[in-house]
Amino acid sequence: MHNNPQETERLISDPVPGITAEPHDDNLRYFKVSIEGPEQSPYEKGIFQLELYLPDDYPMEAPKVRFLTKIYHPNIDRLGRICLDILKTNWSPALQIRTVLLSVQALLASPNPNDPLANDVAEDWIKNEEGAKNTAREWTLLYAKKE
Amino acid sequence: MDLGNNEMFLSNDMLHEKQGHNSLIEDNIITSINNSRRGSLVTQDSEFELDDALLTGSDLDYDYEDELDDMIVLPITNAKRKQINEGGVPNLEYECLTTKDIFNRMLERVNHLQPIFSLPLEDIIILMQHYDWNEERLLEKWTDKMDDLLTEIGLIHENGNLTVNERGVALKEDFECGICCEVKSVEVFSLECGHEYCIECYRRYIQGRLHSGNIITCMGCSVALKNEDIDEIMGYESSNKLMYSSIKSFVSKHHRNYKWCPYTDCKCIIHLDDTSSLSEYSRLHYSPFVKCNALHRFCFSCGFEIHAPADCDITNAWIKKARKESENLNWVLSNTKECPKCSVNIEKDGGCNHMVCSSCKYEFCWICEGEWAPHGKSFYQCTLYKNEDGKYNKSSSQEANKLMKKYTFYYRMFNEHEVSAKLDWKLGQTVGIKVKSLQEKIGVSWIEGQFLAESLRTLNEGRTALKWSFAVAFYSDPSHNLTKIFVDNQALLSKAVEDLSELLQIKDPELIMRRKPDFYNKAGYVQNRTNALMECGRDLLCKGICKLTD
Repeated sequence: MHNNPQETERLISDPVPGITAEPHDDNLRYFKVSIEGPEQSPYEKGIFQLELYLPDDYPMEAPKVRFLTKIYHPNIDRLGRICLDILKTNWSPALQIRTVLLSVQALLASPNPNDPLANDVAEDWIKNEEGAKNTAREWTLLYAKKE
Repeated sequence: MDLGNNEMFLSNDMLHEKQGHNSLIEDNIITSINNSRRGSLVTQDSEFELDDALLTGSDLDYDYEDELDDMIVLPITNAKRKQINEGGVPNLEYECLTTKDIFNRMLERVNHLQPIFSLPLEDIIILMQHYDWNEERLLEKWTDKMDDLLTEIGLIHENGNLTVNERGVALKEDFECGICCEVKSVEVFSLECGHEYCIECYRRYIQGRLHSGNIITCMGCSVALKNEDIDEIMGYESSNKLMYSSIKSFVSKHHRNYKWCPYTDCKCIIHLDDTSSLSEYSRLHYSPFVKCNALHRFCFSCGFEIHAPADCDITNAWIKKARKESENLNWVLSNTKECPKCSVNIEKDGGCNHMVCSSCKYEFCWICEGEWAPHGKSFYQCTLYKNEDGKYNKSSSQEANKLMKKYTFYYRMFNEHEVSAKLDWKLGQTVGIKVKSLQEKIGVSWIEGQFLAESLRTLNEGRTALKWSFAVAFYSDPSHNLTKIFVDNQALLSKAVEDLSELLQIKDPELIMRRKPDFYNKAGYVQNRTNALMECGRDLLCKGICKLTD
C-alpha cells in the first residue's frame, strides 16, 4: 500500500476543520478519528470518537469506519456501524480518508431515517422527529463530551 | 417459442433426442423391444428368486406391481416410460446451452431494441444489464428521461459533451496519480470525463471488478468503461471475463428458466422455456431431473443431484438435518468398523458389502455386522430398521433418544451407500481397462464389451436411488403398510445392487465373458427394482405417508 504515507501526511498537515485523524503508533493503517458534531444539528458541541481501518486492498476497497462514541442516529447502530453508501457499494478508489470522514460528518447533519440501520431509532425519528432529536441531544451531552 | 427457432439452439445431443421424438414409431419399437427383453430376463430372475427367497417377499412384490398400474395418474406411453424410469418428469422439454448460446440470446434480445435506441449493441447490453434485463422497465425509463438514463448509466458524461477529452491510454511525464499519490512518468488512462489515473491503479481496480457482473465505471465518476477500454488497459481479451460475468448475471436474472449445471467446472446451462408444469409435477412428487450435454444429471428445481425417490422437500430437510450432526461422528460412522469377531479396526476399500476380515477371515455384512452367510441366500434383512417399541417407556427424553437412534440408523445407511457409490466410481475407472483387456486377451469387440459400462451405469443409478430412499424411509410413517412394502423394496434393491457390485469386481477377463448373461440378468433386475422403489417412494409421498414433521 504505497499511497498511505502521502495521504496520511496531507491529512495531518492540512486538516479538515472539525475533523482530526491520527494514525496509531504501532499500526499505520489504524486511525484514531474524532469528528465534531455539525452546527445546528442535535450533535452540535459533541466530540465523537471513531476508528478507521484501511484494509489491505485500500484504496481498491473502502476503509472500515466505526463510531466508538455512543450516538442516537438512524443510520448508526448500537455497535457504531455506519450505513453509508460510499463505504459499501458506491466506494471508488478516487475517494479518500478525508472525503469519507466529511461524508460521515454530513451524515450527522442530515440523518436519513428512510434507509435505516438502527430500526428502532429510525422509527422514532419518523414518528416523532422532535422527540428523537431531543434524545439525540441528550445522548450527545451524556456521551460525546470533550475530553 | 416455435419449433424452428428452438432447433437453432439445439446441440447434437439434443438434436438426437429431438429426432427420437419426431420418429415416435421407431422409438416405440425400440422401447418395446427393450422392454420385452428386459421383461423376459426379469421373469427369469424372479423365478430364480422364488426358489431362493421367502415366498411372502415375492408375493408382496407382485401385489404391489398390480396396484401400481391402478395408481398411475398420468397416461404413460412407452416413450415417456424411460424418462420416468430415470426419475424425471414426463414431457419436460428443456435444452442444454453453452455460454456462447446464452450470449447469442443476449445479443438477440438486444438486437430487438437496437432500432429504438440506435446505440451501439454493447451500450444496449450495459443498459439492459443495469435494468436486470427487464425491457419494459428500461423502455419506460427511456421514453421518460432519455438523457438522465444515459448519464446515470455512465454512457454520456454529465456535461453532455463527449468530445472534450479523449478516451484512451497516453504516456505522461511527472504525472501525479490521485489514487496512489505517486509522481512518475507513466501511462495514464482517462475516459471522456477527463479523470486521469495511472494505468497500474486502473489495472488493480478493474481486476477486482471483472467478476462482479456489474458495469465498471471511471474511478472518479460514473462514466462507463467499454470492453475495448478494458482490453486496452488489461491486455488482449480480458473483457471476455467481463462478458462471462455478464452472462452469469443474465442467467441469475433469469434463474426461473435458466440453471447452471451444478457439477464442478461444467459450464452447461439448462434452459426450461415453459415452467408452468413444474408445480403440477411437484404436486405429483416427480422431480424435474435434467441432463446437460456433459451427461451430468441434476434436479432443475433444487439444483441437487438425482434424489429420487425423495422429492425436493424431503431432500432439503434431510440435507439440513445431516449438516447439523457432527462431522466427526459421520466420519467414524462411515469409515471404520470393528470386526465383530476379533475387533480389528477395518476401513472399507471396496464397493461390496460382503466383508472378509483380513485378520481372522470372518465373513460378515458391512451394514449389519452380522454373519454373511444368511445374506447370500435368503432375504436381505439389513435395510429393515427394528422398531423397538416394547422396550421403551414413552418419556420424552427416551423419545428423543429413540428418534436420534432412528436418525443415526438411517443416516448411516444413507452414508454407506454414498461411500459405496464413491467406491463404485473408482471401480468404474477400471471398467475401461477391463474392456480393453477383453479386447486384447479374448478378442471381444469393443461394442460387445460395453455391457460392463452399462452394468456400472445401472449400478450407479440403483445405488443413488437406494441412498435417497433412506431419506424417504426416515420421514415415513413406520406403521403404515405401504412403508413396509417400501422397506421390502429397499431390501430387494439392496440385495440386487450388492450382487451386481460383486459381479463387477471380477478381474479375470475369461470369467467376465463366461458370466456375461449374469451381468445382463443382474443389471436388468437392478433396473427393475430401482424403478419399483422409485414408484413406491413417490406413492408414499403422494399419499402423505412420507411427510416432513417439523
